[in-house]
Amino acid sequence: MLLNSYQTADLFDELMDPHGKVRPYYETVANFFQDIPAEELDQKVKSLELLFLKQGVTFTVYGDKQGTERVFPFDPIPRVIPAQEWEVVEAGLVQRITALNLFLYDIYHEQKILKDGVIPAEVIHGAAHFRPEFVGTSVPRDTYIHVCGTDLIRDRDGSYLVLEDNGRCPSGVSYVLENRAAMKRVMPQLFGRAGVRSVDTYPADLLSTLRFIAPRQTAHPNCVLLTPGVFNSAYFEHSFLAREMGIEIVEGRDLLVLDGFVYMRTTRGLQQVDVIYRRIDDDFLDPTVFRKDSMLGVSGLVDAVRRGNVVLANAIGTGVADDKVTYAYVPDMIDYYLGQEPILKQVPTYLAWRADDKKYILEHLPELVVKAANESGGYGMLIGPRASKEEIAEFRAKIEASPRNYIAQPVVYFSQHPTLVDGALEGRHVDLRPFILCGETIKVLPGGLTRVALKRGSLVVNSSQGGGSKDTWVLAS
Amino acid sequence: MLSRVADHLYWMSRYIERAENLARLMQVSVELLLDGAALGAQNPDQYWAPVLSATAMEGAFRLLYPNPQPGDSSFFLTLDTRNPDSIISCVQEARENARTVRDQISDEMWTELNELYLQISSQNGAALLNNSPQVFFERIIQSSLQFDGITSATLPRSEGWNFLQLGRFLERADKTSRFVDIKTQTPEGLDPTAEVLQWGTILRACSAHAPYRKSNGTEVSLERVLDLLVFSTDFPRSVRFSVRMVDEMLHNISGHPTGQYSNECEKLAGALLAQLNFSGTTDVLSKGVHAYIDELQVSLNNLGQAIFETYVKLPQQVSGISRPLVFDPFEFHLQKQQQQQQQQPPITPTRLGFLEHHSTPPRASHVHSAPLSVAGGI
Repeated sequence: MLLNSYQTADLFDELMDPHGKVRPYYETVANFFQDIPAEELDQKVKSLELLFLKQGVTFTVYGDKQGTERVFPFDPIPRVIPAQEWEVVEAGLVQRITALNLFLYDIYHEQKILKDGVIPAEVIHGAAHFRPEFVGTSVPRDTYIHVCGTDLIRDRDGSYLVLEDNGRCPSGVSYVLENRAAMKRVMPQLFGRAGVRSVDTYPADLLSTLRFIAPRQTAHPNCVLLTPGVFNSAYFEHSFLAREMGIEIVEGRDLLVLDGFVYMRTTRGLQQVDVIYRRIDDDFLDPTVFRKDSMLGVSGLVDAVRRGNVVLANAIGTGVADDKVTYAYVPDMIDYYLGQEPILKQVPTYLAWRADDKKYILEHLPELVVKAANESGGYGMLIGPRASKEEIAEFRAKIEASPRNYIAQPVVYFSQHPTLVDGALEGRHVDLRPFILCGETIKVLPGGLTRVALKRGSLVVNSSQGGGSKDTWVLAS
Repeated sequence: MLSRVADHLYWMSRYIERAENLARLMQVSVELLLDGAALGAQNPDQYWAPVLSATAMEGAFRLLYPNPQPGDSSFFLTLDTRNPDSIISCVQEARENARTVRDQISDEMWTELNELYLQISSQNGAALLNNSPQVFFERIIQSSLQFDGITSATLPRSEGWNFLQLGRFLERADKTSRFVDIKTQTPEGLDPTAEVLQWGTILRACSAHAPYRKSNGTEVSLERVLDLLVFSTDFPRSVRFSVRMVDEMLHNISGHPTGQYSNECEKLAGALLAQLNFSGTTDVLSKGVHAYIDELQVSLNNLGQAIFETYVKLPQQVSGISRPLVFDPFEFHLQKQQQQQQQQPPITPTRLGFLEHHSTPPRASHVHSAPLSVAGGI
């Protein structure tokens, strides 16, 4: 029933090929939703909502005085990725994270890539998250990014493009696990015959990743998760991961540094900490080194890190690889460090700090997407084709004022995926955030968070701006 | 266990117990109110006055409602979020504490508190209170009892359990003693039927009606009520029973045998328990019920403070060695802790100015780390 009225559009459709035929790997899902009576589906949708609400799978919306908790909207139609397609994505992600870690090692040591002129030195020195004071400081196993959540989209021809590398504190993995648990519970009949790869090992893999970098290689190094606190929008996720890993979730005020070692305050006194999976930004880690007004950090933490007595995941200074200007050079890094062609393509990027590019950007603002180099969460962005004259004028002024802070990209139309809207299936734009762990080996969680822009025609998938999510099914064969 | 986590577990259970006790007291008062209305009573709010006084909320009520209208007091006690001790505020605090330590409690415990909060904070909650107040109060009581049962069936008997029980029984000892004191707040020389009604009310609020009848028949006397609510060794809501649980939990935490003490809170708990063990109704009567309860409340408050000093605050003093901080969020926590304890001072009528202390403390702003979606749009 549902599929009969489904419309494809002039972009890649996840479900149907250009001839309107269901792609073979979607048949199980398509048949299920085709056959299910409307009332039954309605009831399943309701029980999914209730499940999330009851379990408190929520996030907090900023800018709302009440600090309202909202359920992250969930769409019951799963996204399916066939095994062969996933192999390519996985290989591409592994290649990319390998290059990024080599790049970070290089930037914080000899800076060969700058000396060889592959990346202009001013790109790095102008990046807001570059930490020059850490040049020359080594990190265990030379790994900087331990947890990465790369954003992928699909171009018109279906090829995956990297949109962003989130190498600081990517979030969303708890929703991957909770979405899966909810789907198993509410749609067991469908799930049972789909042949989906499990995502359950993520917390265990994350814990091994953390243990792998512990300075004391004892049987049970003390790993903790450092959260900004209960008012943070991702607190649910922090608490979820800590519980799943069986480690303590700590706030800055639970930790203290004595003689270069980090301890947590317990009811039985102080207990040494080895590894901190931190979910707060560099700036707030240590008020004696970074922002002095930070109430979330721990005085002396950075010193303890320098001495190698405690390890942070991710390391300090990974934001330089996250920068949207640095992004433009990732294909060059892959070539420089690995001598390989990038497996995953990325979106062409114009850099406003280059005179030619700036000229092009200013002349083509209504056709381009402009992003602030260091903003995230969909903030500080101009979508040219949808913008008013005033907004365009505003961005023109901003770019003129600080060209280093802006990049522009052509509009890429994300793929669309059938999504349940008022009882019918409609196409909505989706992206994909897979999660990558760099420990003893590099592991890519099969699947990831598929975010969907629930507003018709909207390209913004961010949860803070009206996005929802789907369960992502990577097929075993 | 992290000191902060212990603190959250302790307050989580204190708050749910606090909500339950208020609901108990209001439930029986609603029944009285109905009886009164049947007899043609003019002002239904007079039935809330003892509740306000027993829970030390009169001052706050007068501040928020200088010219109370009918219905104001019951709203103030139940769904008024401006009152930090209203039922809804207690449930919210319990849930917020639970949310903070969700990794430490079972899923079922969280779900119970979360559902209760979602229900009573919604439109349905207000409607339920208006249409069938009895059912509303029952829902709170049931939920607290279920939470207790779920906890008992799902939580390992480790440190967290001990802190949780500590909070529950300390709060219960405090509340039961306040209920007993309600009697001293009412003027002398009421007609005898009214008196019987009132002791009956208090007994029922403590689920002690049937146990009382079983051992004493229908004749109600002050001595026997005190025997049950203050000194009973086996009634789980009596002051003595609750203090014994507190003592036991403290010794479970430290691993030190009972009957001795290894820290200040064990000393205070042991002393209070001994005092309850080796005194009786005649001692209460010779001192005067109100004076006796007042002393008891001071001891309970001191005990709460000592628990905080021993298990939550102490490590902070250690850190004083090497941690110069311009602003220490832990200070705020200490403040909050004291505010929480002071919001229910002993029943000394001059100490009711908690609203000044309880204005919203400066919360650390947690807007800094990346929100869920770090990605841009297109």
